[in-house]
Amino acid sequence: MSLPITAAKAEQLWFCVYLPNLPLEACGPGDKDLAVIEEQQGVHRVLLAGAHARAAGVLPGQSPNAALALLPTLKLEERSVIREQQVLELLATWFEQFSSFVCIAGPDVLLLEIAGSLRLFGGLKRLRRQIATGLDAQGFEASLAIAPTPLAATWLARGRRRACVREPANVMAALRNLPLSCLDWPPTVLESLAGMGVTDIGDCLRLPREGFARRFGVKRLLQLDRALGRLPDPRNSWRAPERFCADFEMTEEQSDRELLLAICHELLQAHEQFLLARQLGTQRLLFTFFHLKAKATSLPLGGARADRASDHWYELLRLRFEKLVLPEPVIAIRLRGGTTQALHGASGRLAFHDRVPREHYYSMSQLAERLAARIGNESVHGVNAVAEHRPQYAWSTRDLFAARAADALTRVRQGIERPLWLLPEPELLSMDNGHPLHQGRLRFVSGPERLETGWWDEYGIARDYYTAVSPRGAGLWVFRNRGRQRGGEAAWYLHGIFG
Amino acid sequence: MRRVRYAELHALSNFTFLRGASHPEELVETAAALGYEALAITDECSMSGVVRAHMAAKAAELKLIIGSELRLRSGRKLVALAKNRNGYAALCRLITRARRAAEKGSYVLTRNLFEDGLPDCIVLWVPDDALALDVEDHWIRETFRDRLWIAVELLADGREKERLDALREVGQRLRLPLVASGDVHMHRRARRVLQDTLTAIREGVTIDQAGFLLYSNGERHLRSGEVLRHFYPEELLQETVHIAASIDFSLDELRYEYPDEIVPAGETPASHLRKLTGQGMRERWPGGVSQKVVRLIEHELRLIAELRYEPYFLTVYDIVSFARSKGILCQGRGSAANSAVCFCLGITEVDPARMETLVERFISKERNEPPDIDVDFEHERREEVIQYIYGKYGRDRAALAATVITYRPRSALRDVGKALGLSEIQVGRLARSMQWWDGKRVDDSRVLEAGLDPDSPVIRRLLYLVRELVGFPRHLSQHVGGFVISNGPISELVPIENAAMEERTVIQWEKNDLEDLGLLKVDVLGLGMLTAIRRSFDLIRDFDGRQYTLASVPAEDPVVYDMICEGDTMGVFQIESRAQMAMLPRLKPRCYYDLVIEVAIIRPGPIQGDMVHPYLRRRNGEEAVDYPSAEVKGVLQRTLGVPIFQEQVMALAVVAAGFTPGEADRLRRAMAAWKRRGGLGPFEDKLIDGMRRRGYSETFARQIFRQIEGFGEYGFPESHSASFALLVYVSCWLKRHTPAAFTCALLNSQPMGFYSASQLVQDLRRHGAEVRGVDINRSAWDCSLEEGEGGAAVLRLGFRMVKSLSEETGRRITDRRGGQAYESTQQLLERAGLDRRELEALASAGALKALEGHRHQARWAVAGAEKPGGLFASMDRFEATPLLRKPTEGQDIVADYKSVGLTLERHPMYLVRHRLDRYHYVQADRLRELTAGQAISVAGLVITKQRPGTASGVTFVTLEDETGQINLVVWKHVAERDRAALLNARLMGVRGELQIESNVIHVIARKLVDHTEMLGDLEVKSRDFR
Repeated sequence: MSLPITAAKAEQLWFCVYLPNLPLEACGPGDKDLAVIEEQQGVHRVLLAGAHARAAGVLPGQSPNAALALLPTLKLEERSVIREQQVLELLATWFEQFSSFVCIAGPDVLLLEIAGSLRLFGGLKRLRRQIATGLDAQGFEASLAIAPTPLAATWLARGRRRACVREPANVMAALRNLPLSCLDWPPTVLESLAGMGVTDIGDCLRLPREGFARRFGVKRLLQLDRALGRLPDPRNSWRAPERFCADFEMTEEQSDRELLLAICHELLQAHEQFLLARQLGTQRLLFTFFHLKAKATSLPLGGARADRASDHWYELLRLRFEKLVLPEPVIAIRLRGGTTQALHGASGRLAFHDRVPREHYYSMSQLAERLAARIGNESVHGVNAVAEHRPQYAWSTRDLFAARAADALTRVRQGIERPLWLLPEPELLSMDNGHPLHQGRLRFVSGPERLETGWWDEYGIARDYYTAVSPRGAGLWVFRNRGRQRGGEAAWYLHGIFG
Repeated sequence: MRRVRYAELHALSNFTFLRGASHPEELVETAAALGYEALAITDECSMSGVVRAHMAAKAAELKLIIGSELRLRSGRKLVALAKNRNGYAALCRLITRARRAAEKGSYVLTRNLFEDGLPDCIVLWVPDDALALDVEDHWIRETFRDRLWIAVELLADGREKERLDALREVGQRLRLPLVASGDVHMHRRARRVLQDTLTAIREGVTIDQAGFLLYSNGERHLRSGEVLRHFYPEELLQETVHIAASIDFSLDELRYEYPDEIVPAGETPASHLRKLTGQGMRERWPGGVSQKVVRLIEHELRLIAELRYEPYFLTVYDIVSFARSKGILCQGRGSAANSAVCFCLGITEVDPARMETLVERFISKERNEPPDIDVDFEHERREEVIQYIYGKYGRDRAALAATVITYRPRSALRDVGKALGLSEIQVGRLARSMQWWDGKRVDDSRVLEAGLDPDSPVIRRLLYLVRELVGFPRHLSQHVGGFVISNGPISELVPIENAAMEERTVIQWEKNDLEDLGLLKVDVLGLGMLTAIRRSFDLIRDFDGRQYTLASVPAEDPVVYDMICEGDTMGVFQIESRAQMAMLPRLKPRCYYDLVIEVAIIRPGPIQGDMVHPYLRRRNGEEAVDYPSAEVKGVLQRTLGVPIFQEQVMALAVVAAGFTPGEADRLRRAMAAWKRRGGLGPFEDKLIDGMRRRGYSETFARQIFRQIEGFGEYGFPESHSASFALLVYVSCWLKRHTPAAFTCALLNSQPMGFYSASQLVQDLRRHGAEVRGVDINRSAWDCSLEEGEGGAAVLRLGFRMVKSLSEETGRRITDRRGGQAYESTQQLLERAGLDRRELEALASAGALKALEGHRHQARWAVAGAEKPGGLFASMDRFEATPLLRKPTEGQDIVADYKSVGLTLERHPMYLVRHRLDRYHYVQADRLRELTAGQAISVAGLVITKQRPGTASGVTFVTLEDETGQINLVVWKHVAERDRAALLNARLMGVRGELQIESNVIHVIARKLVDHTEMLGDLEVKSRDFR
């Protein structure tokens, strides 16, 4: 294949970082007994194995059971592409110290444009060493390559060639012997080429251009041209997602709470502007009040849903600020926004809108927020009915502010009688001649209702429950345990009181 | 206090899959022990469990009522009980219609299915919790009128009184009587744990999420009279007894009525069978029949008449005749198949004269069991036979028996593990330990090895539940070929439901159920070797005009036995496995009956019962042949005093331990079930006692018992072995005399047998035959024979060998070729209408050599070929031709393996041999020259790995190098130490010790090395067996 070589712009130099073990490394540092598995067509297969596992013969493509047969202590972790992406983004941030142009060029490839950084870091050798050391320290195994085009750098890195090509004229020579498997071409194409005896880039370049394009697509031909610098290859720089953070520094210590609130309001408005420009909202905010000597005071705010309206946040802030104790006057205030998320439509309001004057009604989520702001997050929670035969587990609390959990299988059972007030612990009743006592001898009204269940955890029960009435007329819910009794007579317990 | 009289009218067994938590037998035995007057088995829209319950009830002398729980689409629940045969038929009909209207495993019951009113059935209406009444209830009352009761089920939920009062009120209003029933799901309360687990499995949730899907208590078990009296008023309990007494039906009433059409007008079954047998006799012995044979046939016909089995023989005859008429090769086997009558009818080809003593044993009056004839057909044409049967008798009169798929340790572990909330990986870890699990307990060390704590409550629960669940039925599947054919509609005998396969149905009973009730069935099975044999016959006929049939292959040819004695049997029927090959030089078969023994002896039964070596020693005269008594001699003489066949072991139970033939047969069938529960229970004492009383030594008794135990599940009957041995002989004859045709037929019948196409082809070439590659202008779809030098048969590989080429395409290439060869790839594409992918497949296989030269050029040409009218078609001729390197031999070999699965180039070991030099590996063909016990190193491609359950942790590995195969024995400690190499290596090096015994060569491995990296891209697949 031949095309007149147009000189690539010499001022570009690309540094490629290829992370072959990223799926493994994303699981956390240095676990050598680890293997990452991935589901492929419904079955799990080993994707990558740690050092020990590899030494024991664990190979990519094995079934988890085969891998376990080789190394019984093997830990298996499901691959998480999201986690890998996060790690890659963190690394990209770290790389920003070396270059203003960092780009994520694939699930396991980072590219830095370093032509401009060379002088800053004392030359290519030093830069390279610095990056290699840094990656090593962070526990990454990386293959590094440097070339005048992004694709050449990427392919060389994937070929684990440790290449450093500075001159565009040398790219061809460097790529010629590189196997085609370093490219990200689909397996069918590689297989087809291999069937023609074409296994490296050099072989590929020897094919007639038209014939190649017809069989494998113009796209791949152009890709080769880009790698060789015959065509430009523009890239987009990666930028870290933004969070709001702003400080307001006072000229002197300030303890006027109204003034402080006013400053906070200003910060909130800046925050709103910031989010508005990005069509985002947030569910959490953190105010930090700095003092001269004392440790800074934090005031986190949380909402039931993402919001950006400064009025909304200000309302919440005011309620909490009333009770906030400040150890010293304030010298500076910082507002940090929480993780941002896209805003969806306004939340629904409770159904009695029309009859209540507008300023007096709250939506359910606002009511909860205000209650929580008054008495503390810990004290307000929702109640779930739980589908469980065991009375002590038949309800549970949930965090109102956590994302709504799916209320699986929560159906309230019909027609069964349960006391509204359940004792935290069943209370042993004293006995009189085989009759249970509570404020005197009990009279049984109905029962038994037999409950035998919960064997799957440590709190299984086998009980006969009865409704009984005490001499003073209290409706009681009592039970005795089934099965063999120690010491003859069955013990009776009080478990609940009917309202 | 007076005994409480009660009959349970509503009980589900575990054949109500994932609801019922007890086996039918457990329910029956418990009901009998509790003194119930009767028990109804009322599985949900199913009769699958009733035969087991019936057999257990007969043994326990309990009255069994047959019924079914039915849930209408509206949600209403009814329990229908068959009052008599007529009611049973109506119920089976109803279940059939409800099941046929729904997907496999479910049913839909609508009101219109009740248009006949479900005559002669008693109906219990089970009201739901809400006790609400609606139009549907009115309909129920109108439909069942005076046969309808309201079921009162009081289950300790604290609202019994309320419920009873409400139902009494309803009963009065609707003028319906009330009756007590228990909604039984298990035989005893302790099963509630398993019942909860089944619920979670059924609903696909974990136990702790199951919530109100679970029952709140374990009350749904068979409760004692005392307990019931506490819940129910006396008159409701009385009513159950009253209802039970009004029911008069037992499954014993089901009589099999034979189809009419097998007997022509004016004939009786007996006269017709006699006539056909006479005809057959004259065909079999055209030169006249010996007196002995005539007497034998006369004796058999008398016996058949006495037992009235004629229609059965005639039915099988009819099916076999059909197959003959279509040129489908078939052969019968089984107890009745080896009769002279069957030989005359053409059901089997085993000449009774060849078998001397066999016949008399196979039909026996005293055993009084239905005759057993399985017929094997060519596996690829069995479907035609099945369609014939459906066509002849109609789908309402012919149906396939079911196979009940039960929980095995692995599946139980998976389902229970999931229900208990264990992760897939945790369960996977444990499942690996299951291979050591004997079904009773799991070694703590295995659990530990799996990384789990054996003492943790979750694991304890898991193992307990798995143990309980193993053996539970899961679903019905199709039996491989067990047909029931009846005179009336089958759906009045047993319900029919949809099978997984489109257009297939199964009855709700399995083979054993049919046998237990004395119903006759015909097994229509598929056998790959029959296909291969028929193809061999066809190939030989087309090649040189010689015509053979199973009967006309020259018998007892000594050169065939010479080959067999050398263990040179790759590809033949049955005796081709590695274990069989190793046995042949020791056993040295020289006649037909030796083959009968050879087929049966390498089986788990005789191996576990330790019968192989005693037999070999006695045969070689190294051990005296003696018998503890004349009776035992009668049974064991033909196998030198060592029991080898299933029939012998059962006969021993009769002559030595005093079992009746019926008992012996029950013993055989009970074996599998007993084994699972641990021990043979009452049979063990009876056997040992019986033998002691008859004067046999304790040692002998124990030995026989051990043999019986080993045989129960795996014993091979002589009656089947006898028929198989004929196919063994015929396939060996073909291999010896027409190897190219035989191999060709085997390749065309793949997948079958023990060896890959590559091994079969190498074996053929080692025997001196020529094999030619796939060629676009010479190959057909199938592999074929061409004439080579001196008229020798040459094997030409067919398009079927080419990976990812469909049969339709392969045949089209041949059809469109006609007599005119393809001249270019473009022409091939246009004339044969191939697409790019198909062309690539052909190019990869090297089939385009004649058109394009080497593979690389072919691939380039193919990648550029365009459909006529394509965008670039006209530019084609102007395209520059690239200079492509010729593939190296290595590349060709790799490509051959990848596309065709074998190579006609040199063996891949040639490519790596020089790199292996420094290891001093010895080639396979040189092992014979070395001395036993010598330390030795070998290497080769790993072609099979096998770990038989009978060989206590030994793995057998077969390596292949350029000169032949090498058999490795890998002991457990080596396997564990070098497990990475054992698991991963495709090219394996081995250091070990040479073992030579009776010309059988093994290498005992000491150290395994993985050389796979030397192979590069070569794809060699090991065939792994358990």
